[in-house]
Amino acid sequence: MSSEGFYQEFEVFSKRTVTSPIQYQFSLLAPNRDLALIMAQENFMRREPVADIWVVKRSEIRKLSPEEKQSLKRLDNKDYRNTKGYGYLRKKWRQYEQGILDEKEILSWGGVKKNEQD
Amino acid sequence: MSKAIFNEKLTNEEKYDHFIKRITEGEKIEADDWMPDDYRETLIKLISMHGISEIMGALPEKEWVPKAPSLRRKLGIMAKVQDEMGHGQLLLRVAEDLMKPLGRTRENIMQDLFSGRLKFHNVFHMEAPTWGDAGLIGWLVDGAAIISQTNMLDASYGPYARALKRICAEEVFHAQHGESIIIALAEGTSEQRKMVQDAINRWWEALLMFFGPADATTTGTSKQDTTIKYRIRTKTNEELRQDFFTKYIPRVLSLGLTIPDETMHFNQEKQQWIYEQPDWSRFKEIIRNNGPKSRERLELRETTYHENQWVRNALNMAK
Amino acid sequence: MSKIDIHQMDAAFKSALTDLLYQLADDDFILAYRGSEWLGLAPHIEEDVAFSSISQDTMGHASMFYQLLEDLGEGKVDDLAHSRKAKDRRNAILLEMVNGPGHYLKKPQYDWAFAVVRNYFYVQMKKIRMDSLKNSSYEPLAQIAINVNLELYYHLLHWRTWFVQLMQAGDEARKRMDAAINRVFDDFGGVLSLGPLEDEMSKSGLIEPEEILKKKWILVMEPVFDSINVSMPTNFGMKNGNGRKGEHTEDLDTALSILSEVYHVNPAAAW
Repeated sequence: MSSEGFYQEFEVFSKRTVTSPIQYQFSLLAPNRDLALIMAQENFMRREPVADIWVVKRSEIRKLSPEEKQSLKRLDNKDYRNTKGYGYLRKKWRQYEQGILDEKEILSWGGVKKNEQD
Repeated sequence: MSKAIFNEKLTNEEKYDHFIKRITEGEKIEADDWMPDDYRETLIKLISMHGISEIMGALPEKEWVPKAPSLRRKLGIMAKVQDEMGHGQLLLRVAEDLMKPLGRTRENIMQDLFSGRLKFHNVFHMEAPTWGDAGLIGWLVDGAAIISQTNMLDASYGPYARALKRICAEEVFHAQHGESIIIALAEGTSEQRKMVQDAINRWWEALLMFFGPADATTTGTSKQDTTIKYRIRTKTNEELRQDFFTKYIPRVLSLGLTIPDETMHFNQEKQQWIYEQPDWSRFKEIIRNNGPKSRERLELRETTYHENQWVRNALNMAK
Repeated sequence: MSKIDIHQMDAAFKSALTDLLYQLADDDFILAYRGSEWLGLAPHIEEDVAFSSISQDTMGHASMFYQLLEDLGEGKVDDLAHSRKAKDRRNAILLEMVNGPGHYLKKPQYDWAFAVVRNYFYVQMKKIRMDSLKNSSYEPLAQIAINVNLELYYHLLHWRTWFVQLMQAGDEARKRMDAAINRVFDDFGGVLSLGPLEDEMSKSGLIEPEEILKKKWILVMEPVFDSINVSMPTNFGMKNGNGRKGEHTEDLDTALSILSEVYHVNPAAAW
């Protein structure tokens, strides 16, 4: 046991439904993670559905410093990574009387009916 | 800013220019970003006062939580006062992160409150002697709070703007909770109607004071210039007060209630509400903790803080 | 709404049912009231918010039980909550006791240890009761029990966490917690009791017998005490009387006059 004080900072994350991604909520102060957990829901989600809660001690999070955020910038010259760079295929396939396999088409192959999706 | 990547020292002037450029372009400042000292100080002062006012603001209504006249009203006002505490939580977290580099914590905020260094909002020094006051606080005091808080929804400081977004969403419930109590009373017996009218009469001056003096000439200091310069807020105190009149006076009158100011009217030519100024010297006294309930409420807050100290001491150790 | 025709109800059954519903409603109502006095005064802001949700849930449960009484022709929900005299109340005395010396607006010396122990022990008993009521012969009550039960998992997790942590938190906290446990046990018999009509309640399948419910409570609580190396007391007392018989303390009188102050301005008015 180390004496770190009653006011430890915890970051709170939650999922709205079982299928939703985890989402950041807010931070709270608590002496430890078990108490942080039992206070989290009513502090930040008392008016919305919630399917899961995570609390993370802030000191355990490695964040980018303001300077390091410079590392996030990049040039807009990477269309070879995106479908944007392959748009001409639509025309090509038309010549062969085929449709393009775009995102909408491919993601429809999962066999999940529309009304079963989120 | 490429210099920063190479760890080149930027002069304070360069940092300042970059900061101003960012907020001018509508970018949000985050807790660990560089910011001018007076920006940090202004924010700490503003947000810790805002936060502690929510915590102190729970007290005037608290009296009416156990006394509310029906189960539904008991539940509604409990939820409302719970939100005040919750808003205090959100705001104090924002203030605490700003204070962290200065080595200050929530403990300091509480101590500053008890010592009188940290002020709380003038309305929360006032008496709330009837159930009508509980309704009026929910209706008009929260109405005024909504006007002043929505004015800062686009504040240049990101964490504050995000906290305000959560708060304003809940204020919609507060506004309707207050209206619901007031309309029930206004449509009720003559005794109930009198409760509302008395509450309006009692609170009118405090409501005028809510937005602060129009300019520094009234009370000597005003932070409004700094907060506008740094894009924390957009409107002046007087503009907010006028907005409040425009939104709420027609509603008050529509219920057959009156405003205790015979001079009050809308001047079409000037396009503004004309009203009798409150006693601003009294305002200064009130926020110096010399209001009718200042001492009592501070004592209540301090008593419970000390009564519960053993809990915080006991769990001082990280597990 | 009740599917059972209340006019065809056997008189003994009806009085047992009514008595049980008063116990359930009055227990939750008065404890939620005590919780509402704590609002704004908890040891920590974040906890204040969490605790208030529990008090709201609990008052919501009381409201559901009063509604069942209204459906039985006992009177309007708000009148049942606000205008009944202390001697007509069926809550356990433990739940009416003040949070500590002082008033909720003036020098409240509220005892967080007492709040934690009283709430934890009570919620555990309430959970056992709801589990039993899910099979109640009175269908509308069984339905409510299923719904109320949903919210008790959080209440239990919340109070058990506080209980276990404070029990293990060293000298002063331990002393205060031990004192609170003693106080709560002194009157916990009143919480476990189903009152003078217990026989009729269990015979008619409204709820399991008191002894069985009590054993279940001991069975769940013992491992919690074991886990923190404390031996659980076994003296379930009724030191201050049996609330199920309408015996109450001054604490209840004071509470009733506060909670009905505005209601009594004009009980007939809409508020």
